[in-house]
Amino acid sequence: MKQFITSMIILSLAWMSLTGCTKKKDLEADTLNLALSANVKGLDPAQAGDLYSNTVIAQIYERLFSYHYLKRPLSLEPRLADGMPVASKDGLTHTFKIKKGIKFQDDAAFPNGKGRELVAQDFIYAWKRVADPNVNSEGWWIFDNRIVGLNAWRDGMKDGKVTYDTVVEGMKATDSHTIQIKLIKPYYQLYYVLAMNYTAPIAKEAVEKYGKEFLNHPVGTGPYMLKSWVRNNKLELVANPNWAGQTYPTEGEEGDKEAGLLEDAGKKLPLIKKIVLREITEDQPRWLNFMKGNLDVAAIPKDNFDSSVVAGELTDEMKAKKIELIITEDPDVTYTAFNMDDPVLGKNKKLRQAMALAYNGEEVIKKFYNNRAIKAHSPIPPGVDGYEKGFSNPYKKFDVSKAKKFIEDAGFPEGKGLPTFEFMAGSSSTSRQMAEYFKENLKTIGINLTITQNSWPQFTKKIRERKGQIWGIAWGADYPDAENFLQLFYSRNASPGANGSNYENPKFDALYEKAALLPPGEERTAIYQQMRDIIVEDSPWIFGAHRLGYAVKHGWLKNYKPHRIIDDKMKYYKIDKDLKAKLKAKL
Amino acid sequence: MGSVNVSTHTIPVAEEGAKANRNSLWWDAYYRLKKDRIAVISFWVIVFYVLLAVGCRIGLLFPHFAETNDALSYAAPNANHWLGTDFLGRDVLARAAHGTYTSLLVGFFGSGLAVVIGTMFGALAGYFGGKVDDLIVWLYTTVSTIPYILLVIAFSFVLGAGLKVLCLVLGLTGWVGICRVVRGEYMKHRDREYVQACTAIGASHFRKAFIHILPNVTHLILIQFSLGFVGVIKAEVILSYLGLGVEAGTPSWGVMINDAAQELPREVWWGLAAATGFMFFLVLAFNLFNDALRDALDPKLKNK
Repeated sequence: MKQFITSMIILSLAWMSLTGCTKKKDLEADTLNLALSANVKGLDPAQAGDLYSNTVIAQIYERLFSYHYLKRPLSLEPRLADGMPVASKDGLTHTFKIKKGIKFQDDAAFPNGKGRELVAQDFIYAWKRVADPNVNSEGWWIFDNRIVGLNAWRDGMKDGKVTYDTVVEGMKATDSHTIQIKLIKPYYQLYYVLAMNYTAPIAKEAVEKYGKEFLNHPVGTGPYMLKSWVRNNKLELVANPNWAGQTYPTEGEEGDKEAGLLEDAGKKLPLIKKIVLREITEDQPRWLNFMKGNLDVAAIPKDNFDSSVVAGELTDEMKAKKIELIITEDPDVTYTAFNMDDPVLGKNKKLRQAMALAYNGEEVIKKFYNNRAIKAHSPIPPGVDGYEKGFSNPYKKFDVSKAKKFIEDAGFPEGKGLPTFEFMAGSSSTSRQMAEYFKENLKTIGINLTITQNSWPQFTKKIRERKGQIWGIAWGADYPDAENFLQLFYSRNASPGANGSNYENPKFDALYEKAALLPPGEERTAIYQQMRDIIVEDSPWIFGAHRLGYAVKHGWLKNYKPHRIIDDKMKYYKIDKDLKAKLKAKL
Repeated sequence: MGSVNVSTHTIPVAEEGAKANRNSLWWDAYYRLKKDRIAVISFWVIVFYVLLAVGCRIGLLFPHFAETNDALSYAAPNANHWLGTDFLGRDVLARAAHGTYTSLLVGFFGSGLAVVIGTMFGALAGYFGGKVDDLIVWLYTTVSTIPYILLVIAFSFVLGAGLKVLCLVLGLTGWVGICRVVRGEYMKHRDREYVQACTAIGASHFRKAFIHILPNVTHLILIQFSLGFVGVIKAEVILSYLGLGVEAGTPSWGVMINDAAQELPREVWWGLAAATGFMFFLVLAFNLFNDALRDALDPKLKNK
């Protein structure tokens, strides 16, 4: 009898696990599995300043505009906007219609938990939040000194003289679905900016309900909504049934059709119902998970590069597994930033230049990027206007003897009299190794560093609070205009804004303001280059590299066409379930 | 009192003293240890490590451990670099040897601090009993309910990285075991005749607890110290592996193992081999020596 019961239990358990398996497998097959290489800070659009938080926010929230998924060069198209806006003749007044019938996702913040319709006021509210000094948004730079009355409103908020109900002259909802923006002066990046997550509409109810926790409770209008989030581990997104919908583009650039990127033309999005984003900060676990088929896409870690790519192509072994190589030229720049507030570093140009000369950029590219990057001579990467091929930065060459002379001129012969500086590195092993290498570089001219390792949220917090001294970081383009890189030096954008170096130079500021009034063209590009020369001379950064993205994806992931600036991309992706079952079994 | 003759009151004349000492616990232990060949070998292995660490520290051995060479990044073991080089072209053997210093330093001070704290609390709790005991028992049960590694990580997050902080962190978290043992021993001793005799002649609490009882539990403290030593060395490696240990750039086995996670895909095995090899022999020697030491110092095993 006892044996009978045991065998019954075993049988029923086996049966349960079998049925459990099939159901789970079905769901698993239709899930997009991606990894984020740093921890997500939070999901408030007003704080969407970093790539990792931004990647998640872009799937949940929508903006007035977004970019065509397939066309290159990038082309802006209306998303929540109903058609392109109407601008007045002087280019100062812009009128935007927003689509009717757009609904927020269902959330406890709304009456009966049902998402309500999106109105123009939700945009105004969100934009005021970006301007609100109490919110302390990283995105204030996009509106600062641009919109009539907004700076005054911001100052008013500081003294408590105004509220969110106070009407700002330059930012009005003229009816429930029309927004009018009045600019102080021409702002040629306005539409680009309105395609950034900072400007995504927010429901006031949600902010009021969740308060500080709004960071963890995104309530958007986008294709996905947050189902669960275990901090520092993984986020699960599921399709939002309230989403107004969109269809897959029917045209792309040349070659897209051959690449199979138009197979789903005209189909209803999103093509995948569930997304799992895992926060994996170390290279090797990410890579091994990819090789096991647990992730659909992964960047190739430096240490696995030689064993997976030979002469610019994947090895036969990888090809046999139907793994595909994706090379992207993302406009970005890596750099080592100095905090210009620092009494020693900020005041001594020669010292910074000496450090730049001691930095062996070529070796860094070899060691840490497998030669998959080009040396950065300025903050302006290739692919945006203002980039000048062949431009050479006099401090961007490895020259120890010159560096030694510079440091002597700076008043610290052989580094004598200098304090030990703190270098902030990220938490990953690669980040530490890069820091160690930089430390070795500086040791040759007598400068000592201590290295601290920080998680990504800690790291950005220290910069915002001006507590960093020297750190290594990168900037990727938000829109295809060099202005996006040059604004990183504009004094009004100093921390907590994007100018983490807290660089301040009236001459630069004047040029920046002048260029902002100019339409794209030769004149503007010339000013961009003047600004670049000022930055190069002042050296608030040591320029690193413009990277090439080498990633691999599995054959079952379809419709994958990456671009750094296009962030609302996951709705286009598709998983070929049959192919996945077949390929994954062999991994 | 039996064979445990450590009374400090009788000061015998020199010749008699030597004889008496030969019958002491320490002499017994020494003779028993000497007979145990594995213990002797282990002891010399430990001595070797200590000499290595000191030699590295004073610059006698491997003085070029921090020298980098871009051209030599990830060189395989060869005549110049017996265990190859790492990503910066630094000699792996030299790094591992210098890692010994880091490990022994952290082991000595980390475990030492734990012993001081543990003995203090254990002595107070065991000697006084009552409310003091309740309080200290509450404290160490609370500390011990938090998983050890998590506690260490929490401390390091607050205090930051670095060698000194690491010693402090490991000391502050590693005292519970010692405290328990010492407390138990004190409870056993506090009502013994020799303590009562002290009370009778008017000795103070401090004198009784630390001058009279403490020498009688020293052997246990010694065992706990050397056990803790191994634990702390391992904890240092784990913490450095997690990026919470020594400051980047300091040679450490943990950091080398962390680097190995990146190196293995390129078939660079020597970093891992060196770090784990160095650690393996030290930890093994310590464990074997500890076992022998415990046997030697246990009066109950005396005639076996």
